[in-house]
Amino acid sequence: MASESIVVFAQFQSAVDEGFWHRFSSLKLNKLGIDDSPIPITGFYAPCSHPQVSNHLTLLAESLPSESNEQSSTAATSGGNRNRCPVPGILYNTNTIESFHALDKKSLLKAEAKKIWDDIHTGKAVEDSAVLSRFLLISFADLKKWTFHYWFAFPALVLDPPATLVDLRRASQYFSLEEAKSVSAACNEWRNSSLTADVPFFLVCVDPNSLATVKHIKDWETCQSDGNKLLFGFYDPCHLPNNPGWPLRNFLALISVRWNLKSVRFLCYRENRGFADLGLSLVGEALITVPQGRAAKTGNGLGWRDHQCLPNAVGWEQNKGRQVSRCISLAKSMDPTRLAISAADLNLKLMRWRALPSLNLNALSSMKCLLLGAGTLGCQVARMLMAWGVRKITLVDNGRVAMSNPLRQSLYTLDDCLNGGEYKATAAVKSLGRIFPAVDAEGVVMAIPMPGHPVPSQEEDNVLEDCRRLHDLVDSHDAVFLLTDTRESRWLPTLLCANTNKITITAALGFDSFLVMRHGAGPFSSNDERQRLGCYFCSDVVAPIDSTANRTLDQQCTVTRPGLAPIASALAVELLVGILHHPQGIFADGELANSSNSGSCEQPLGVLPHQIRGSLSQFSQMTLVGQSSNSCTACSSTVVSEYQERGMEFIIQAINHPTYLEDLTGLTELMKSASSFQLDWDNDDDDDDCIEI
Amino acid sequence: MSTKEESRGTLSSTDFGVAASAFILNWNTICSSFPQWTWVLSHHQVEGYLSLENILLSSTQEEHGELSFPGPGKHSHQEDPIDVDDATLVHINPCKVHYYDLHIIYCNSYRVPVLYFRAYDNDGEPLECDEIEKDLPAYSKKALSDSKWTFITQEEHPYLNRPWYKLHPCGTSEWMKLLFHADDDALAKTGVAIELYLVAWLSVVGLVVGLRIPFEMMKQL
Repeated sequence: MASESIVVFAQFQSAVDEGFWHRFSSLKLNKLGIDDSPIPITGFYAPCSHPQVSNHLTLLAESLPSESNEQSSTAATSGGNRNRCPVPGILYNTNTIESFHALDKKSLLKAEAKKIWDDIHTGKAVEDSAVLSRFLLISFADLKKWTFHYWFAFPALVLDPPATLVDLRRASQYFSLEEAKSVSAACNEWRNSSLTADVPFFLVCVDPNSLATVKHIKDWETCQSDGNKLLFGFYDPCHLPNNPGWPLRNFLALISVRWNLKSVRFLCYRENRGFADLGLSLVGEALITVPQGRAAKTGNGLGWRDHQCLPNAVGWEQNKGRQVSRCISLAKSMDPTRLAISAADLNLKLMRWRALPSLNLNALSSMKCLLLGAGTLGCQVARMLMAWGVRKITLVDNGRVAMSNPLRQSLYTLDDCLNGGEYKATAAVKSLGRIFPAVDAEGVVMAIPMPGHPVPSQEEDNVLEDCRRLHDLVDSHDAVFLLTDTRESRWLPTLLCANTNKITITAALGFDSFLVMRHGAGPFSSNDERQRLGCYFCSDVVAPIDSTANRTLDQQCTVTRPGLAPIASALAVELLVGILHHPQGIFADGELANSSNSGSCEQPLGVLPHQIRGSLSQFSQMTLVGQSSNSCTACSSTVVSEYQERGMEFIIQAINHPTYLEDLTGLTELMKSASSFQLDWDNDDDDDDCIEI
Repeated sequence: MSTKEESRGTLSSTDFGVAASAFILNWNTICSSFPQWTWVLSHHQVEGYLSLENILLSSTQEEHGELSFPGPGKHSHQEDPIDVDDATLVHINPCKVHYYDLHIIYCNSYRVPVLYFRAYDNDGEPLECDEIEKDLPAYSKKALSDSKWTFITQEEHPYLNRPWYKLHPCGTSEWMKLLFHADDDALAKTGVAIELYLVAWLSVVGLVVGLRIPFEMMKQL
């Protein structure tokens, strides 16, 4: 009839919960490896429950067979879950994107269609009707980028010629009021019983008294009485008013083969808020006219009833109207590095939200820190900086990791000591990367030129090179930590920092005492005449000399109480954070702890001292303030301007002739005039007793 | 619930279980037309949590088209033509749909319930925090930005081992204290403090994620 049209079925839609990909990745990494044999999986769907949105065939973590060693995430999906009707499927996962695209989709679809066809003919589909909605999934899981390419197919046996639609209307318009009430009640009962809630195909039998019963499709024979209306019902995921859902396709195939019906009245069962909704559900009548003429080909007069004659199949899922696979990226929730980064950020943000709203996380994460020395102080400072969110760290050290180091130098392990020992700078960078993959750490294997250690002429070029390199390093960083093990090695860095007005923090250890201080601003850093805070050398009356020669063994070796380095390193980093949050930064005045100075109450991080000196023997700590000295061998304007004028030539001269610095700064004069007064100098040189690490 | 806990705004883990059962009963009775909360047991079968899943939200956001499909060379591959027959209707949802899952999980260290949630589109692709915020009604966005009690963080779900968003619990006991202190005597008399804990809690927390508690439930408070 011209007015008749074919039944147009709405395609099944897929939805993959990210839990499925998580579980699959784990399965692939732990168990499957490169094994790409097909994996049986289970899909879940439920009848449509919303007038504007279709339901999907969903894959969850539970869709995959469980790993023996993996904990099941939620309560097992035992039978009878009304919202999760299980449907069998198969997964073909390839190991490369090329093989993914090269899969023979036609034959894969045909193979699954054949399974459905077989189940129809053997009667399995009558017993376990969910197999009618068997599906296929092909995928390529890229476990380096955490992206998943995939494509679903919902095999449907093609009726040829297609079924024609005689009638399709809302179920509420088809049934009488009484019938509708009874049908709803019967369906709700079916849906509420754990035995049948997840059975997606059923029969609705309405007797002449408008009493409806819902039965298993295997009980078809019992519904054959005159006067009874018989409808073939199925859970319809589709919401559309003019189209039945995909499961009806194979249902019609089953009905045609098993019971040879030509006219099929069907019920597209849909719900709303957990109850049967006959306004949303559809009732229709389809005519199946698969000709027996097909038998002419096979010669046995059976046509569709011939098991051997597999019909064509369609069913690859369209992706927004196009025939392409889908791709999902789960890097954000699966890539461990990204997870580590967001966890670290969270920690700092919590600090800001709950305790310190003025915390400047951006300044911390963009600050570039240069650490001179990768020993006990250097390792601890690096770790503390990372904890504060500093990501850019450069470590300079020319030594190798020695067997005694891992105990006190927290970035190294025994492996770093083997075979002569890795370079500390390199080992430290690797270690930082293992702690926090997103750190931007660099190691520089280089010695720091020192006054008092004269340079032989053949080495001069190398030393000049090192000086220039150090100059460039200081230039390219925002804060410099002096964490070396001798006093004289701090001279050149101090000078370079004073020259470029960089934030400089020194930490030095004695046997049971420590000094942590921030250097004042450079001598040419501002126009006003205010006193600058001093640097590490400002209180010296002698130029830095070779402190390592002619010392006894125990004085040369790094012997300090182990607790000192972590304490001093921690204070050094906290001091830096304090400077960063102080409105005057490097120019901030030195404050004293426990003072009535009102300025300290305003700063949310508290007091910003100049120097902290602590003693473990007393478990005490005190803050001091020292002004810069005009005769300082490292940061005075005399010295810095000499450097600015004569550059490396000046450095070499200072390195080779330490008294040169004393002459230059007038210390020599000072000493002469002092001794001429015959005063008793209280030899305030506890610094000399410090054997720094 | 001990008065000590009550005065601190916290509750014990057993009390949480009691509160949860009462809550489910309440909700599923009063709000029978709403999606129902269920109690899910953890894999150890000892602890559990409240779950409300697949809440559908028709988003006002536009279809992002190509943006939904990250990955290199996604459309560069020329696919073989796939058989499609006339009996197939391919329909595309006119509105972009977002699904939400909500879990209420007890936090041992803070001794309060915590709301965990996640959102995803109809492909199953998870939504980002900023996309979720676009879905929230105006009053939630305000609550999030103004209040120092409420902020969204992303952390590992205690049972599902995947990152979920959650409303950080560090401020919960503070404002629960206020809620309960408001009517101390009345609650002590009726002795239903525990049962109402979750309703009270969700009435505040729910606002932040745009979940309104039906008035009938609030009446009991």
